[in-house]
Amino acid sequence: MSSTTHDDHAHPHPHPHAPIEEKGEAAEFAILEAAIRELSIAKGLFSAEDHRRFMEWYDKVGPTGGARMVARAWVDPAFKQRLLADGVTACKEIGVDWLQPTGSGTPSDYTYLITCENTPKVHNVIVCTLCSCYPRPLLGLSPAWYERPTYRRRVVRWPRQVLAEFGTIIPPDVEVRVHDSNQKTRYIVLPMRPAGTEGWSEEKLATIVTRDTMIGVALPSADWTVSSTPTHG
Amino acid sequence: MSRFKIGDRVTVRDIPPLFHTRTQGYTRGRTGTVVALRPEWVIPEDEAWGRYEGRREPFYIVRFNQRDLWPDYGGAALDTLETEFSERWLEPAS
Repeated sequence: MSSTTHDDHAHPHPHPHAPIEEKGEAAEFAILEAAIRELSIAKGLFSAEDHRRFMEWYDKVGPTGGARMVARAWVDPAFKQRLLADGVTACKEIGVDWLQPTGSGTPSDYTYLITCENTPKVHNVIVCTLCSCYPRPLLGLSPAWYERPTYRRRVVRWPRQVLAEFGTIIPPDVEVRVHDSNQKTRYIVLPMRPAGTEGWSEEKLATIVTRDTMIGVALPSADWTVSSTPTHG
Repeated sequence: MSRFKIGDRVTVRDIPPLFHTRTQGYTRGRTGTVVALRPEWVIPEDEAWGRYEGRREPFYIVRFNQRDLWPDYGGAALDTLETEFSERWLEPAS
């Protein structure tokens, strides 16, 4: 084995990819976050280990809370009414607290959730054209495409075409209603319970409520669960 | 006390977008219908500067017909979009 290193590029194997390196300067808010975090740790407000554990937890929140919420609303009409009336309070019933642990939701000074119920006459879809507002306590971190201008700009302008790109065709006699989360309220879609799920338990129903069905870019289906594996062709 | 009530027709004011407003350009000058009243809160124009004790106003969810937002909208005539405004951004539709 030679002592050749990556730095001098004298080694013979090909590189099929561009070098992975930082591009540009760190964003202003990234610098601010690092400064406040380091000062907080130095001051003893929390430890580096506390912070790491929080980030690890935060990254894995995921859409399971939303799936439980939808499945409960499908089987329990009284819960659905409470959810539509006051989303944040109703979420506690399915074990999701928008205010605890701190940081999972919108700033705790103003936290509201509006549930947009799909009906045979209205199909809802959510977006944030300003940034990436998203019901994180219920769905976890948003998918990359949700934050990109190609989705944000286009779904308010050409919603049916964008939904079609996701494979979702909404009939012309069904209203497509876009919700642009430009202020502090957060929105989530309550999809319609699909055919073929008659008699299913709440737990089984939750398995077909995927992330995209609660953003509104997809419809749930009895034959597609959160653990299904896609195949092409 | 809210100036508008559910069902009112309102037009989004088209005033110069100085600094942070949260009022999207595509809604400026467009007319829609108030569908929900939201709690009074500090307006983004103040909160963006850290003025958390700043001016408080009622907020409203307004529903627009897509064809009123985009004159050449190609989807169904019944398609809509909803978004929120603080009271200062709305005036009665003429």
